[in-house]
Order: sequence, then structure tokens, then C-alpha cells
Amino acid sequence: MTAVEIPVEKWSGAVREVTLGSSYGGGTRTSTVTVGGETSLPFLGFEGALPHRPALAVEVVDMKPADWSPELVATWGDDLSDPANWAARAVEEGADLIALKLRSCHPDFGDRSATEARATVDRVLAAVGVPLIVYGPGTADKDNEVLVAVAEATKGEQLALGLCEEKNYRTIVAAALGNGHLVIAQTPIDVNLAKQLNILISDMRLPLERVLMDPNTGALGYGLEYTYSVMERLRLAALMGDAMTQQPMICTIGEESWRQKEGRAATDVPEAWGELAERGVAWEVTTAMTLLESGADILVLRHPGSVGVLREALDDLTKGA
Amino acid sequence: MSRYIATRAIRGANAIVAEAEAMVDDAIAELGPDTPVAFTNTAYFLPVVYAFTGRKIEKLGDLPEVIARAKALLHPVPAESMWLPYLGETLDSGVATLFAEEAIEGVRFARKLEPQIIQLSHAREDGERFTGSDLMVHGDKMKLNGPIDDIQLRAWGIQLVDGRMPGFCAVVGCAKSNEVAVKIVRELQSRGILIFLSGNVNGRSIIHQLQEEGIQLGYDTFTVPFGLDTISAVYALGFAARSALTFGGMEAGQARDIMLYNKYRVFAFVLALGEVDDLKYATAAGAISYGFPVIADTRIPQILPTGVTTYEHVVSMPFEEIPGADDMERTEKLIQRCIEVRGVKVKIAKVPIPVSYGSAFEGERIRKDIMYAEFGGKRSHAFEFLRMKPADEVEDGKITIHGVDLDGMNEGDALPLGMIVDVSGRKMQTDFEPILERQFHYFINGVEGIQHNGQRDIAWTRVSKNTFAKGFRLEHFGKVIHARIHEVFGNIVDKVQVTLTTDAAEVDERIEEARLAYAERNERIANLTDESVDIFYSCLLCQSFAPNHVCVVNPERVGLCGAYNWLDCKASFEINPTGPNQPVPKGIVLDPVNGEFSGPNEYIHAHSNQTVDKVTFYSIMESPMTSCGCFECIMVLVPEANGFMIVSREDPSMTPCGMTFSTLAGTAGGGMQTPGMMGMGKYYLTSKKFIPADGGMKRVVWMSSNLRESMRPALEEVCVREGDPDLLDKIVDETMATTVEELLPLLEAKGHPALTMDPLF
Repeated sequence: MTAVEIPVEKWSGAVREVTLGSSYGGGTRTSTVTVGGETSLPFLGFEGALPHRPALAVEVVDMKPADWSPELVATWGDDLSDPANWAARAVEEGADLIALKLRSCHPDFGDRSATEARATVDRVLAAVGVPLIVYGPGTADKDNEVLVAVAEATKGEQLALGLCEEKNYRTIVAAALGNGHLVIAQTPIDVNLAKQLNILISDMRLPLERVLMDPNTGALGYGLEYTYSVMERLRLAALMGDAMTQQPMICTIGEESWRQKEGRAATDVPEAWGELAERGVAWEVTTAMTLLESGADILVLRHPGSVGVLREALDDLTKGA
Repeated sequence: MSRYIATRAIRGANAIVAEAEAMVDDAIAELGPDTPVAFTNTAYFLPVVYAFTGRKIEKLGDLPEVIARAKALLHPVPAESMWLPYLGETLDSGVATLFAEEAIEGVRFARKLEPQIIQLSHAREDGERFTGSDLMVHGDKMKLNGPIDDIQLRAWGIQLVDGRMPGFCAVVGCAKSNEVAVKIVRELQSRGILIFLSGNVNGRSIIHQLQEEGIQLGYDTFTVPFGLDTISAVYALGFAARSALTFGGMEAGQARDIMLYNKYRVFAFVLALGEVDDLKYATAAGAISYGFPVIADTRIPQILPTGVTTYEHVVSMPFEEIPGADDMERTEKLIQRCIEVRGVKVKIAKVPIPVSYGSAFEGERIRKDIMYAEFGGKRSHAFEFLRMKPADEVEDGKITIHGVDLDGMNEGDALPLGMIVDVSGRKMQTDFEPILERQFHYFINGVEGIQHNGQRDIAWTRVSKNTFAKGFRLEHFGKVIHARIHEVFGNIVDKVQVTLTTDAAEVDERIEEARLAYAERNERIANLTDESVDIFYSCLLCQSFAPNHVCVVNPERVGLCGAYNWLDCKASFEINPTGPNQPVPKGIVLDPVNGEFSGPNEYIHAHSNQTVDKVTFYSIMESPMTSCGCFECIMVLVPEANGFMIVSREDPSMTPCGMTFSTLAGTAGGGMQTPGMMGMGKYYLTSKKFIPADGGMKRVVWMSSNLRESMRPALEEVCVREGDPDLLDKIVDETMATTVEELLPLLEAKGHPALTMDPLF
């Protein structure tokens, strides 16, 4: 019998290692998360190094979300009304990181001030020991105002600040530079735009070891294959040695999959769709698994059930690696 | 470098270092070496010293080392007979001066003499006048700010880095009058430029002048008084050093990086008012080593070549000689010049017109019944003309109207209109004129209730009744053009002025001037050949859906989408250096016939995910350029006819190759290299480099009729050039043949040359 020889691809490039959270120099985290460092495509441990397994973040919003799926509302219950409790519970459920969204600072959803935002971030930092990702409310001017204030107040915590977009990255990058944080660079599902934003950010002299890229995510059935393909190309370019594509990738899986009909509708759907609770988690997990295979390094999730399933899957996939 | 300036700066440096040494020695003897030395509320010690050397100065005993470092940078004053370059020595002296000045300020802080308290000429009744943190007036005394504290540094530093704040100006000395001092501050403030004040002339400082005029000084008004002497100007350079450390990702001690960071990213400059003494020259040399230019309002030697600074180093604008009706106008021009010298970019947040503006209005049609007036079209003629001018002939934002304005017209009237736009810019090139001019169509169409068609001397603009009623006048065309050129082309244009004329005689006269320029441009483009340039440009815009496709655009072939020619790509690269259009050096000519070059081959290989390693520019048969999917036309081999057919995107009919445009598009697009099939822009047909290796236009046997008719005059010229004036009508179209069987007899009958040319393969 002849032994089957598994062809092994040798890559010249590697994904950059990026560490979130710090326990010294102003940082108060009890754990940190390092992602990246891959020298092969996902989970092909026989081809190269996969030093860090992908991290699971849970999304926490600073106000009770009015438009979330009933399944998520039921699962989190009262914790939805208090970001500190919510974050603490998320960590109990297995989150490696908390992704805090400062939604209530949005002019249309409460318009809370930068000072209030700082207080919220402080409370969440006090409630958990894991690193934090902090997203602004999602409008350029307010993002700048809020994130700069948060960045200054949390100097040294090594937060990841989001989102930096092409039209609006300079202020957030400057805030990260001045206070030892990371940034999340988001571009609309395009390899060259992702690359360009990384160039622009590193041009401001923020070390690329402090940049995560969010290539923008579509959910299962809503453009997932397009995202998959763009992420795959980014990762292939990174492994081929293109320095400006070598950032670890972060995907907002929960937000995308739970806003679709499949994650929200409990009634008036075909019987074959099954129960919402199971279906919603399945939708989130399937989206997540797909993007893990295309190189995702941090998954931002909404349902605690998904965290558990994905943790098991990652245990399996990284066995022996 | 001016020897005069070098001499005075070096002399000033020697003097101030000696003075600093004496002051440090005295202070140590008097107060002891352990007396703390600290600027207020900063973690950056003496910031210039810390940034340049990495040394943390914390007590008087640390200062002798600073003096020693300053001394090491000193040079002897150049002798009368010395004519060697002395730029290096002068810059060294500048840095030595900054070290000495910081040491002196350190001693003053140790002696509690800083921030300075100044005597006012008359007491204020109203007590605390100033809003800044420490800045206060008590009776006839006022406490100045001293160095910027770290909290303010962070607030302003972020804005300097992210571009919200365009730059800062260190004003040193005393203005001609209080009125001029106020005007200087207002001009700078109106541009969002941060102002640092220091220095004096014969004891009188701009700080006194502003104070006397009741101008608010302090952090809140972006106007910070440092101190009455030149020495306190060092705080401005300390501020710049700290912003590089905070927001530039630099470490203390990276002197060169910190200076370069300031040169390229911190748009600062020095405005020296009044007589310039040795110490001012020496301090200015320190500023120049940061890349900050110096503009003086007195007669001093100039240093105009660029190098350490991006543009001129030292510019002299003797105040009385500035052209202008009065001192206010002279001041405006002085500040305008400062901004040019430093390359500070103007930002206009909103197009200032009385109606809405946005791309949503681009498609509006203004029909006769809602039209107030029109320019151009059938009833009058109009033209648009943009030209590059030297900087001193363009006054930014100036809009001149000649002749009758809209409110002097009657409803339904038509008048001629000439719009002449003068631009200047350090990076502007004559080649970019048509590119900017072509955008007027979009710029003007963005106005609510305006319809614009055409360009050059066939421009046609209609204004709606509603838009007129809301107050829209001719000057608003100028405002739109001014604002939008700054927004879109800010990287290449510094100044824009617009002249609009409805005076028939003037329009007739100036349209001829414009026509000469149009003709010249046409000729220039016609003369632009692949051989005359060393660089082609890439376009990666379409990789989002065709990941392996790379366009390389050469002067003689427009991009296959028809939207980007070589000049467009060149301008696009200047405007957005990290964008989708990058220069591709031609490299070595590998095959002159097929048009194969080493540079594009390498570039395409690297950017097509290693899928395409060879592309020729002059052949469709041998490694042709790949296509994304945006092509205006597709060219396909018809083997039976020994030639090619060209089908346009607008043509839905069947073609002799058995496929319609949309079916062909699936095969031709997606970044695949298919010999015998290629996407192309329709103007490629008129190029001398239209598939020359395969025989050029004579190989075209079939063409969509709409393509032929819409381009007939240009194509007829090509046929003449190719030596076969009747060729165009020997080409068959879809109305005559949609199969090869129909095509061949027609070609025979018409005597098409392709049939007798060498076999294609």
C-alpha cells in the first residue's frame, strides 16, 4: 500500500499578531486576547503555524436594544438594560472579549454625551476583566467626539476602537495613537479598499500591530459568499506576503445574522423553518463557521448559545494544531 | 542659503547659548542643583530637548548637559571671505538656540518667573477678562500662558493630526499697528489656524496690541500668548515636538523622524513682525529645521529654494510694499501668502449658495415652462474655460461679474455667458486643466434647479424660476466652482478665482482665447504617445468584482470603460496617492511590435493574484489585456473573415460570431485573458495604437451601426490615415449581416482589405 502524500503549501507571509487588552501601563485587564500570527490558511495546522485560535466576542449595547430579535431579548432578559451586568453575564457564557456599542450616543437614539459614554465604558471595564472593543454610535461627528473622550479616559487599556472608515479614520486613529489603543478599520467588502485604508492608517504611524480589519460581513443568505470570497482573497494576499493585507479580521456576525428575517420571525413562516430559538442560533453559527473558514480572527456574536457551539467547534478544529 | 541669514543666526545662537550657560550656572549656585525644573502640566519635561535627545530634564543640575549639547552644535560665524554652503551650520545653530531657550525657560520656571506676568498700559475695570485656563487680568497686570499644557495639547493635537485644524502660526514681534494686529489674528482665526504669540520689537509686542484692542486671548479663542520675548517662541516648537511624540507614534530621541513628521504633517509657520534681530534669526533657523517656513513683514534676504521646508524657507514681504488699497488689504495678502508658503489647504464645509446642493440634483431637467433664463444652447453661446496661472495672479475666492446679472434679465431671456476659472497650485499641471474643466458639468448640475449640458464652447445652462426666486445669481456659479474645486482637487489646487461675463462683446472676444487653448489641448493630447512617456498608470477600481483584472492605461489607449485616460489616471494619482491609479514604469521594451514591456508585466503579475504574467498593448492575438466587464465595446476574432468584429454595449442584436453583446460579455470579462477577444473603450478605435500588430483598422470587418454613426467623423479620419478613405463603409453592420454566412459575401462585394491581408494565425 502506498502512503498518500498530502500536498503542503508553503507561504511566505504571515498575519500580524494583534493583542487586545493590557494589564499594565494604565491597563486593568485580567486577561488579554492575542489573535493573528497565522502562516497558513485557517485550520490547516499541517501547513503552517496557527498560534492563536480565533476569539469570540459578545456584543453589548449601552441601551436596551429596541429592534433586537425576540429570541435575543428572551435570552438576555433584564441584563439587556444594564451594560455592566450584560457584559458580566457574557463573560460567564464564555466570551473572550466584550464588544461594547455606544448606541445611546447616537443623535437619534438618545444623544448621550461623551461624558456619559465614558461612565458607561468605566462601568463595563469595572464589571469584567476581559479586553474591550468599543464602537461609537455610528455617525462620524459623534463617533469622533465619543471615542476621543473614551480613548483618553481609558489610556493604556488597549481597547479596540471602531469604526475607522475611509472618510472618517483620522480622528480615531489619532485618539488611538495618543492613548495606546487599537483601531478597527472597516471597508465595504473590497480587497483594495481594505488595503488602502490600512495604508492610510499606517501612514499616520499607528503601528499595524494595533489595527484590526473588518471587511464587512454579510449573513448567511444575505451576501455571505461575497464576504467569504473577499476575506479569502485578503487572507491569500496576506500569506503571499502583501504587508498591507496582513491584519487579523474581525466580523460582526451577530449583528448581521440576527437582523434577517430568519433570526427574527417566530410566526407566519414555513413549518420547515422550525423554532425561532434554534433557527436563530443556527443562522448565527453557520455564518460564523463559514467566515472562520475564510480567515476570521474575531467573531462578534449576539447569542450566548452560539458562543458555546462555536467554542466546541473551535476546540475540535484546533485539536492537535 | 543666504550668507547674511547664516551669519546672523549663527551669531544669535552663540550669544543665546552663552547667556543660557551663565543663567544656568547662576541658578545652580543660587538655588542648588536639586531645584526642580518643570514646565506646567506636562509629562514631556523640556519638550524640545526631550524629543531631540531623549533626556528628561527634571532639575537645575540636569541643565548643564543641555548647554553642553547646545554648544556642541555651535559653529563659528562665517568669515567675510567664506562662500561655502552653510545650511547645515545654520540649522545646527537653530537647534542649539532652541536648547538654550528651553534651558532659559527651565531656569525661569525654577525661579518661578514663568509664566510671565505683564504690565498693561491701563488697568481694566472688568477684572478677569480672559477665558483660558490660567490667563487672567487683575487690575493692570496680566498673566500670560507660558507653554501649552498636556490636556490642551491632546485636544489640539488630535485636530492637527486629523486635519480639522489646518495648522498653527507662531507670530513673533509687533505688528505695524493695533488694527493690523487684530486683522492678522482674525484672518488666521477665520481659517481655523491656531495662533501662538510671542516676542516684541523695542518692548512692544503683538500681545500688548491685541490686549489694548480688547481681543480675547486664551485657549478658547485659539490665540495663546506665550511671552513678551523671542525666547518664549520655543514653546511653539515644544508643542510641535510633543504632538509628534503623542500622535506621531515617535519615541523621544528620534530627532530626525520628529522633524520630518512636523515637516510633512504639522502645517505650521512663523510670521515675524517687525525688525528681525540675531536671536530671531537664530530661533527662525530652529523653526526651519522642523520644516516650518518663516515669513517676515520686513525686508530681509529670502531663501526661496525648497528642501528643509516643503516650499520656500524664508520669504520677505515688506508690509508697505504689499499691493493693496489699505493696511487691511495688505494684511489679507500677507496671510494668504503665509498659507501658500506652508501649503495649508483651504477647507469649505458647505457650498455657499441659497439653494440646495448635491448629486441628487444632477439629473434635473429644466423645461421651458419652469425656466427663468438660459445661457448657451440655440439662442446664445456660452463657454467654460479653466486655466492655470501663477500664484500671484490668482486671488482665492475672488468672483468677478461683468455685464448683466440674472436679476437684470427678463423671464425667458437668453444671454451669452463666459466662465473663466483661474487656478494655481504647487502641484497643478497644464495637463490637468481639461480634467478639472470637465468636472464643471457635474459641479454645476449639483445645484438645485440648474440644468447644465455640454462643455467648452458648447456649454448650455438653464436656471429655473424657483432657483432664481430663492436668490441664485451669477456669483453663485463662481461659489460652486470655487468650493467644489477645493473639495475635489484640493491636493493639486491651492487657489481658485472665477470671472463670469454676460457682456456679448467680451464673450465674443474671450471665447476666441479659449478656443485657442482648446485647440492647443487637442494637439497636446494628440501628440502624447506611448513612446513619449516612461510611465503608464494602473487602474484597480474594478477588482472588487473582477479580482484578477488589472487595467494598465497608456497614453494611446483609453481605459476599456472609456472613463479613464492616461491623463485622468495621472491626475487621480496626484489627488489620491494611495488610490486605485498607481504609476507603472514602462521598464524595458520586450517586444516593440506587440507592445510588451517589462514594467507592466511585473505589475500585472503582482496585482492579478499571480494569474496573468504577460500582457501586450498592441495586439489582441498575443496575450491581450484582460477585461473587468465595464468595456464600452467588445472586439472578437472572426476567423472566417481574417479580421475582427466590434460590438457596442448599446447594440442588442445578434453578431456574426454567434453571440450577442451580453453573452460575449460573460466570456470577455472577469479578468480572463482570451486571445482573439478583448474589451475596449470606443475611442481606442481612433488611436494610432489600435491593434497595430494585427493590422489596425483594416482588420475591422463588422461593427455595430450605432458605434459607426456616432463616431463617423473621427473614424473617417482614421480611414484616411490608414490610406483607405472608403474603408469605413466597407465595414458591415448588424443591419446587413448577423451571421458569418451573410458577412463573407458582403466583404467580398465591398472589397474589404482584411480578406487579402496576411492570415491572422
